[in-house]
Amino acid sequence: MTANSVPSKIFTPKAARPAPVKTTGAVAWMRQNLFNGWFNTILTLAIVVGVGSVLPAMLDWVFLSASFSGAAQADCTGTGACWVFINAWSQQLFYGTYPAEEIWRINICVVLMAGVLSAPVWLPHHLRNRVDIALLLLFPLVAVVIMDGRLLGLQYVSTDHWGGFTFNVMLAAVSMILGMPLGFLWALGRRSTSMPMIRSICVVLIEFFRGVPILALFFMGSVMLPLFFPEGTTVDKLLRVWIVLVLFMAGYMAEVYRGGFQAIPKGQYEAADSLGLSYWQTTLLVILPQVIKVSMPNILATAVMLFKNTTFLLIIGVPEVLNTAQSALNNSAWLGGYASEAYLFVGFVFWCCCFGMSMVSNHIERKLDTTRR
Amino acid sequence: MSNSSDAVIRISNMNKWYGQFHVLKDINLNVRKGEKIVICGPSGSGKSTMIRCINRLEEFQQGALQVNGIEMIDDIKNIEAIRKDVGMVFQHFNLFPHLTILENLTLGQVWVQKKPKAEAEALAMKYLERVKIANQANKYPGQLSGGQQQRVAIARSLCMAPQIMLFDEPTSALDPEMVKEVLDVMVELAEEGMTMLCVTHEMGFAKKVADRVIFMDAGEIVEENTPDEFFGNPQTDRLQLFLSQVLEH
Ligand SMILES: Nc1ncnc2c1ncn2[C@@H]1O[C@H](COP(=O)(O)OP(=O)(O)OP(=O)(O)O)[C@@H](O)[C@H]1O
Ligand SMILES: [Mg+2]
Repeated sequence: MTANSVPSKIFTPKAARPAPVKTTGAVAWMRQNLFNGWFNTILTLAIVVGVGSVLPAMLDWVFLSASFSGAAQADCTGTGACWVFINAWSQQLFYGTYPAEEIWRINICVVLMAGVLSAPVWLPHHLRNRVDIALLLLFPLVAVVIMDGRLLGLQYVSTDHWGGFTFNVMLAAVSMILGMPLGFLWALGRRSTSMPMIRSICVVLIEFFRGVPILALFFMGSVMLPLFFPEGTTVDKLLRVWIVLVLFMAGYMAEVYRGGFQAIPKGQYEAADSLGLSYWQTTLLVILPQVIKVSMPNILATAVMLFKNTTFLLIIGVPEVLNTAQSALNNSAWLGGYASEAYLFVGFVFWCCCFGMSMVSNHIERKLDTTRR
Repeated sequence: MSNSSDAVIRISNMNKWYGQFHVLKDINLNVRKGEKIVICGPSGSGKSTMIRCINRLEEFQQGALQVNGIEMIDDIKNIEAIRKDVGMVFQHFNLFPHLTILENLTLGQVWVQKKPKAEAEALAMKYLERVKIANQANKYPGQLSGGQQQRVAIARSLCMAPQIMLFDEPTSALDPEMVKEVLDVMVELAEEGMTMLCVTHEMGFAKKVADRVIFMDAGEIVEENTPDEFFGNPQTDRLQLFLSQVLEH
């Protein structure tokens, strides 16, 4: 526009600029993310060299020279991994020494568990709160009844035979389900200003179960705890480690919730008060849902930690998956040193589960996000 | 002064301290049923603190407060009874972000008043229509504009059928173009005869609906008068200074 009003200026074209560097496509992406600057270029090259020198051998061991089919040690003819070992022991790795013809009971429990844990996703909005809580609290009971079998008139399977990876999963889930509300109560107690006694008790509980290593807790649960029970009562070892796991979880969750509580603005309490809601109504209907929402990433991280920590039960002789793997490794028919295969497999299975948990929690987070337009 | 026996709020010699800091100094105030009172004053003068004492969001240490004949004492029964009669609207709306608009409005009715859900929803929709926002009932607060949220907050309070409404700077967190939609709702409420205590610097609103305007400074009620006298003939230097500052804007 101003050009028209200044006619004295003569148009002199500038020399064309060089074509811009391509900003899309693979080359541009690599230029932007991998080779921007000498430091990143060196890093990228170093990683390429490092991975390049390891990966072929690894792929060869895992896939190319590995033996997959067969049922006995003799079938491991390749120079690579012997997946036949995993194949042969898969039932024990997943189900422990649970009787083979009763394994459907474990499968039912796992399916139930998946259903209950994913309930927030599939339950209709108006049912969510009440039904979800009921389902969650019922699940541990139902699972124990099914696994045990006596109440249902099924074959009795004692807890000595509960084991394998499904056991790790369910123990973690059931400890989560009970540890989460317990941790919330502890966190509430810790916040209480009017009841100093309860407050101190909660602080001690939280700090104890967060401060002591889980291995030490397991030993206490299996060795020390029985000393406190009255003479003559025997409490199942599994029940004892379960209690330990629940309390451990509660300690960590209480700390997670504490962060969540701090994120809730004071105005939420004031609005609830001015509507006349009671302390428990405010806590459960207004504060808890928001605390859970802001704590979701940390809750998941804690759940993953707990899940992985169930493998420590190996040390006190609970037949969880690593323990089962070790007995398989020591089996006289398989004395060939298949430790790499066993641990890689267990690691892979755990990784798959944890990755799945991340995906689910992302979904839940998106669903809980009420600010989207 | 209205010392008549039909006062719904009686505040006598109320004093409050935050530690050493004397926030409220000998507050005396009687509010008649249906009266509209606007409270103004410089920042930090104790306006919020005073009205928050009325529904016990804050405690005071000395003096007495009666709402609808109920004495404000430590007894939880009295506090609950008073909160039943008193609704409050906040500067920052304080809607519950995890609940839909409709659920925000029914929560108190269902859990405090123990109404059946259908009845609560019907009343909620009625008030949402009154604040002209019924079409947003199933959205979440985060999806609404500030003005819409504040109207929802007013409706949420009204659902509890309060006899007294407290407003703490209900429009000061709003963009200018949204102030009017909220003030319109408040004017309408005033015209229906609601007893209102309103902390605000909206002088136009004060002139239009207030029966009395109160000026607070440094924890004291410095001056109270009818809007005409208050704005036209301020008695104290402090009020004159305050008005000159506010009206400059
Ligand atoms: N929890 C608290 N602890 C200590 N002092 C406080 C607290 N809350 C408020 N005060 C102080 O009390 C005084 C009165 O606060 P109040 O919020 O009632 O003022 P206000 O008149 O509403 O001001 P504004 O117009 O800024 O909202 C202020 O000086 C404030 O700093
Ligand atoms: Mg204020």
